Amino acid sequence: MKILLLCGTIAATIAVSQVSAQAPAGAPAGVDVCAACHGADGNSTNPLYPILAQQTARYIYLQLKDFKEGRRKDPLMSPVAATLEQADMLKLADWFSKQKAKPTGFKPDPAKVEAGRKKADEVLCSMCHGGDFVGQNEIPREAGQHYEYVKKQLLDFKAKRRTNDAGNMTSVTSTLSDDDIDDLAQFVANLH
Amino acid sequence: MIERNNKLIRMAIGAAGLALSLCVNAQETGTADTTVAKPMSKSLTPVSQAMLDNAASDPKNWIHSNGSYAQTRYYPGSQVNAGNVGKLRPAFVFQTGVLESMETSPIVVNGVMFLTTSFNHVYAIDAVTGEEFWHYKHKMGPITTFCCGPNNRGVAIDGDRLFMGTLDAKLVALDAKTGKVLWETQIADPDKGYSETMAPTVVDGKVLMGTNGGEYGIRGFVKAFDAKDGHLLWTFYTIPDKGQEGVWAEKDATGRVLHRDIAAEKAALAKDASFFQTLGGGVWMTPSVDRKSHMIYFVVGNPSPDLYGAIRPGDNLYTDSMVAVDLETGAYKWHSQYVPHDVWDLDAVSATILTQAKGADGKVTDVVIHAGKTGHVYVNDRATGKLIRFSEAMIPQENMWVLPTKEGARMLPGANGGVEWSPMAVNPKLHMAYAANLHQPMTYQVEEAAYPGGSKLWLGGAFKTIPSEEQWGQLVAVNLDSGKVMWKHKTPQPLIGGVLATAGDLVFNGEANGWYRAYDARTGKVLWSFNCGAGVNSPGVAYMVNGKQYVAVAAGGNNQIDSKRGNSVFVFALP
Repeated sequence: MKILLLCGTIAATIAVSQVSAQAPAGAPAGVDVCAACHGADGNSTNPLYPILAQQTARYIYLQLKDFKEGRRKDPLMSPVAATLEQADMLKLADWFSKQKAKPTGFKPDPAKVEAGRKKADEVLCSMCHGGDFVGQNEIPREAGQHYEYVKKQLLDFKAKRRTNDAGNMTSVTSTLSDDDIDDLAQFVANLH
Repeated sequence: MIERNNKLIRMAIGAAGLALSLCVNAQETGTADTTVAKPMSKSLTPVSQAMLDNAASDPKNWIHSNGSYAQTRYYPGSQVNAGNVGKLRPAFVFQTGVLESMETSPIVVNGVMFLTTSFNHVYAIDAVTGEEFWHYKHKMGPITTFCCGPNNRGVAIDGDRLFMGTLDAKLVALDAKTGKVLWETQIADPDKGYSETMAPTVVDGKVLMGTNGGEYGIRGFVKAFDAKDGHLLWTFYTIPDKGQEGVWAEKDATGRVLHRDIAAEKAALAKDASFFQTLGGGVWMTPSVDRKSHMIYFVVGNPSPDLYGAIRPGDNLYTDSMVAVDLETGAYKWHSQYVPHDVWDLDAVSATILTQAKGADGKVTDVVIHAGKTGHVYVNDRATGKLIRFSEAMIPQENMWVLPTKEGARMLPGANGGVEWSPMAVNPKLHMAYAANLHQPMTYQVEEAAYPGGSKLWLGGAFKTIPSEEQWGQLVAVNLDSGKVMWKHKTPQPLIGGVLATAGDLVFNGEANGWYRAYDARTGKVLWSFNCGAGVNSPGVAYMVNGKQYVAVAAGGNNQIDSKRGNSVFVFALP
């Protein structure tokens, strides 16, 4: 477990806008590093950092693994994940998946939410993400996720800046317009 | 091989991930899943190598998942026969505590039956009354990766030990008397996509085991472990270190053009040949063993990724091939590839069978046969591997081999086959093989996709069924001397599970709608039917206790064709 060694550098750099980096009692070692961006209970307040609370454990684990092994890249996450061993990843994934997601306070545009709902039906999002977008196993929960984060991921898939999806999301997003992506992000961010 | 759930494959490419998710999401439902245990029968005695060798002629026991090392699934007893099978009735029904897909082939030793369920439970029961002796539930590790349902196809036995492969890629040895774990060994890393569902086989103290994972970019293998303590004896990789590119074949084994761009493939290979480490090649079914030549025979499944071939130039040996290796060392002997550079997942999964048939010179010779997802039965010379003949197509074939496209190209058979993992049965007197086929029209869609790290379903595209086209199944009898189809019986749903043949001139086969039927081995006439109330998608077995013959089959439904789930083994006998 080397994650604590990074505390000083990473957390100090990115914790500026965060409310709390205190890990709650019972959390596995290393949660405090995650908490700097993702919130102590996995409910991040900065909309560019994803909410981890209630995310599927399998998805969190695979993303950490992908960051460590270079299939997904991010200037903040890649160095953090590089220090994690498999057992650490599994513990962190399990813990965050068991935290409760809180509403983000996102104020949607109703017309865009409706357009996003229709587009989601058309491109069969729910076949993988589930009818209520809570995800399953390796497929992530999207319900109530930050609008900005979702939008960035969809754009990244479309531009193939993010390619750790085994071809599924890059394929689906290839036919989406920028407006479609904005609508979809509004739609899922508005789900609770 | 990938098993495709009907409901899933109709959707767009995003479904690729879902097939995994739903399957994994299926949970065992048992809570109080053990009845009051009865003391183990005193008749259970250690299984000797001689018993294993002579299993094909022993009507008392069924001690290999496929009946014998030859895997003919031919029961030598004839008490139940074409004349009286109409009177067959249930003797008992054993309910497991796990309501999920059952692909198990029970084994029976001196009146004690050992059967498995999804999620690696094992039950030992009285094969006459159904009373439970013990129940083992494997403690699953934190990571499992499997594409096709939490299935298990059975245990192997040697001495007083049972052996089972697990979803978390372990090999477990159990005490047959108590169900207690004797040892466990990790076969491969489940985080890289490995899992085990096949029934192992044991010979001369070696436990032989293949692996799943062709949908995750594994490097497939067959391994031999020491039955005493589980230590690894040898590994045969189904993807060789060098030479996977083969002969750059332009045609399949039946002579049909594959439409490969060989020049482009050669250029791609010159740039990067490192992909052999993720080229797939799972081994889904138990190897057959030739005791005279000390060779084992098995077939190797699809290359990874299934549909996107541009990043794996070459014939992709030994995927989609039958392979013979030395039992003692695992050394390569020969291979025979059916579909070079497969981009349709029309691979080789059904168990190999050792039998005899006419050779090219018309003389009866030792052969090894296999039923492909292509819908052909292939007859190979056992000594040389040379393909002697292939059967007439058992189900419709159209547009072979049209290349997958971005939009989806229609081709028959669909990617489940033909014949899936379902083992055939052979009646050696009649030189006939019986194969359970699917007809599922599909389109094949390709999408560029880099290796995703081993834990994500990696198809490189999508298979989609065509909602407007009917799906059905067909039980087909093939004459091995001529390759001719002798009879066929169409079923309302695609067939998955496997076949049993008996010396009573019978063939038993189950259907997704719950029917278990006995057919006249010569004509295909239905002689008996019983509805089990859940999908009969497993291979039947037969045995004898106290002079009475029984036929047993699991009716647990199937993840792949999404048939109704059940949790039971049905056992039949004459009144």
